[in-house]
Amino acid sequence: MSDGKVTLAAGGRRAGIRGKMPIFATAGPVSFWMMIFVLLPLIYVFVISFMTRTQYGGIEYSLTLDNYKEMFDPLYLKVIWKSLKLAFFTTVICLVVGYPLAYWIASKPSKLAAKLLMLVMIPYWTSSLVRLFSINLLVMPNGLLNAFLMKLHIISEPLDILYSDGVVMLGLLVAMLPFSVLPLYSSIEKMDKSLIEASKDLGANSVTTFRKVTIPQTMPGIVGCTLLVFIPSLGMYYVPEMLGGGKVMLVGTLIKNQFLVTKNWPFGASLAILLILITLAMMWLYTRIGKLDDLEVC
Amino acid sequence: MAEKKQLSKRLRRKRLGRRLSNVYAILVYAFIYIPIAIMILFSFNSQKHNYYFEHFTTEWYVKLFTQSDLWGYLVNSLIVAIVATAISIVIGVLGAMGLKRFEFKLKQVINNSLYIPIVIPEVVLGISLLMLFEIAHFPLGLGAMILAHATFCIPFVVIIMRGRMAGMDMSIEEASQDLGANRITTFFRITLPLLVPGIMSSAFMSFTLSIDDVIISNFVSGPYSTTLPIKILSMVKVGLKPDVNAMTTVMVAVLVLGLLLNSVVQALWKKRASTNIKTYF
Amino acid sequence: MKRVKKLIAVALIGVMALAFTACGGGSSESGEVNVYMWSDYISSDVISAFEEETGIKVNMSYMSTSEEAAAKITSGGGSEYDIIMPCDADMTSLIQGGYLEEMNLDNIPNWENLGDAYKNREFDPDNKYAMPYLMNYVYVVYNKETCPIEITKYEDLLDPQLKGQIASVTGQRNLFPIALVALGYDPNSTNEDEIKDAYEWLQKLMPNIAGLDSDSAETMMINGAASVGFFFDGQAARAFEEMGTDKLAVAELTDPIQLGVDEMVIPKDAKNKENAEKFLNYILDADNGAANLQGMMEEFGSYYTCPNSAAVEKMPAEYKEAPAIAIPQKMKDNYFLQLDIGDAAKVYDSYWTKLMSEEQ
Repeated sequence: MSDGKVTLAAGGRRAGIRGKMPIFATAGPVSFWMMIFVLLPLIYVFVISFMTRTQYGGIEYSLTLDNYKEMFDPLYLKVIWKSLKLAFFTTVICLVVGYPLAYWIASKPSKLAAKLLMLVMIPYWTSSLVRLFSINLLVMPNGLLNAFLMKLHIISEPLDILYSDGVVMLGLLVAMLPFSVLPLYSSIEKMDKSLIEASKDLGANSVTTFRKVTIPQTMPGIVGCTLLVFIPSLGMYYVPEMLGGGKVMLVGTLIKNQFLVTKNWPFGASLAILLILITLAMMWLYTRIGKLDDLEVC
Repeated sequence: MAEKKQLSKRLRRKRLGRRLSNVYAILVYAFIYIPIAIMILFSFNSQKHNYYFEHFTTEWYVKLFTQSDLWGYLVNSLIVAIVATAISIVIGVLGAMGLKRFEFKLKQVINNSLYIPIVIPEVVLGISLLMLFEIAHFPLGLGAMILAHATFCIPFVVIIMRGRMAGMDMSIEEASQDLGANRITTFFRITLPLLVPGIMSSAFMSFTLSIDDVIISNFVSGPYSTTLPIKILSMVKVGLKPDVNAMTTVMVAVLVLGLLLNSVVQALWKKRASTNIKTYF
Repeated sequence: MKRVKKLIAVALIGVMALAFTACGGGSSESGEVNVYMWSDYISSDVISAFEEETGIKVNMSYMSTSEEAAAKITSGGGSEYDIIMPCDADMTSLIQGGYLEEMNLDNIPNWENLGDAYKNREFDPDNKYAMPYLMNYVYVVYNKETCPIEITKYEDLLDPQLKGQIASVTGQRNLFPIALVALGYDPNSTNEDEIKDAYEWLQKLMPNIAGLDSDSAETMMINGAASVGFFFDGQAARAFEEMGTDKLAVAELTDPIQLGVDEMVIPKDAKNKENAEKFLNYILDADNGAANLQGMMEEFGSYYTCPNSAAVEKMPAEYKEAPAIAIPQKMKDNYFLQLDIGDAAKVYDSYWTKLMSEEQ
């Protein structure tokens, strides 16, 4: 069976440039784009991570490893660890909440599914800032939620949930849900539903079917979801800041501070490089553990 | 007799399952739409700065349609989002195919570089793209913004498309080519239609990422290219007024109505089509 | 097939649009000035009047924070604009870094209208780099009905009775200075031990903080989540509008309060430098300045303190006596500015990071 991989030796029907044309046409644009708009800026960031901050917040071209040494201060490691934890929990919750919804949408005829997906996305085409403000307004002591609950006599005093961890988690879930539903839908839709029927016919109950048929079949989507929620969550800070009352320090805020407040771009750059290295390391681990090279999703 | 009972039990379980999943879906949608509902509510707030709900008024809608400059910013946002999405889809879909099937020298580098725009904090990406444009003497503005947005959208497209294409049976493509179609025809008539749900997901994702992007847009914007999120962020400093709520309410209303209208129209078409076929026979 | 064709068509249109917009934005015509400042921070009547009088078109773009504006300038994005509005704290690094154009004061005679305290300042002795536009004090307000104690100095904010009651702006350069002042040090101290003491002072403050929000801290007070507020006079003005002087009052502090000034600067290689100077001269005129303040009151309901004394002279009582602005004169005279702290910024940052990452 064809595995979809074409190497030049085996697949190039025509020799020379014409044989390489498919590569240029398909992988060419993206490689070109990444090299110019991602790798070039990255090189810049990498270079300044070895520089020093001048007195007035500029960059002095004197090579040093100080920035990287500073990073290993327990203070900063704590911040990074906190961000990793938060990203992890957000990812798990988004996966658990998003999967059933993606499944449900994928079970609908494609035109309806398109509309349902759009319905999921429409709130995200409005300003995230206004949405976050709205959440805060909801949980203020004199906000709608408390007014509602008090009127129904469920509580006698306003709930103290403003800026609580629970609200932050909910806010993150709301913010990242599309990032999980979209890749999951894309992969679930492709699944051959008859396999499920077959499994059930062979005597497996729903749980086993789910575990042994559905999940492996939709694994690429699950991987996609995990990547697209975990990685952005690492560098994100505005949701926890706004919903957490500003009393939180995550690596995203830390880096932002370096660039905007402290004007210590070299240190900020080294932290950014660290984030990238962590991400790449996780990807590497992920592919090794899950043997996901075979799935070609990473 | 016993078999019949078992069947209906299965059917019952299926129906219950279906109902439960419907309820679940409704709950999740409700959850996502709660902030929207509040936002809509507060667009009718008579208070100038939306601290709590005072009383009902439609003055902001009047203001929005008579003297507001918010529409201009919305148009800017839409232009950037649509064009950036188009670029990202084309490059991303082709890229995902190429990265999946072919081996070439820089493949691993390109693969890894895709994660960088996703993980890198926006401040860093914004500043470094700004410097890139400055060095290249590329003018800041909508064009720069489109390029910047496409840069962080393309990785999302590639990842979603790879998930879609994973384990895809390529023999159907081979069959098409064996039957005489060239590569391009095969691509457009066989491969692409199979990828449509993935393309749709990626397009929605890109559009969403672009239309609400603030930080990177802020850095690469020029004098004529203020987008809606930039304006809103700057308004936050001086107190967000309900006219922003009014505008987003109008946007949501237009979109939701658009969806409904589409469904109605399609239902009507279906009816028409079926009647046509009947007369045909 | 049709769908694919549609996609290609959209993509082509998109590329064409890209080409047009990329070309269109770069040309520099005479007869316009590109201004990059805060939103809702200038009266639209004043802009229209300027455009009519001079025939120069004003293109407004909006900044989100003064730090991002400064970062944009230092990354080379400044030359797209003719006037930018960083705050005085950024000025030293911008001037030293050579990012600003020198102004020709002969073209801006109205600069004399500025109050003496705002001319020829330390970071700009010849006053050729920055013209102050508006300024803001950072002080303490309290809810007369719900605040349990009297507040006359920053030390009072540590009172345990205020647990979870203070709504405050955030930021190293807003919170560390009041700690330093409370401990008797220079608010712009660069001494590591003093900064450490300030950090410990702030650790004691944290339990009393209801929330940190530089944009809308007043929301917490208005909604009853906080009884004390530490924020800018602009935010206080909004709070006064909602709560009134019956409920809200400005705490009469004996400690110095922070004064921040929004500066108008011309970035290096600005394309319309002359028009920018004309714009500055227009704004600094006493009548126009007054019209601007009046216009902002009417259009946005905002009251801002103004360094243009000639303009302030002409303002009606409604402005001069607005509760957010009409703070006791001895408080107004007892202020400190945010000065550049050089390398100590790193020390501040690490203590700030420590403070924010501690569990609260």
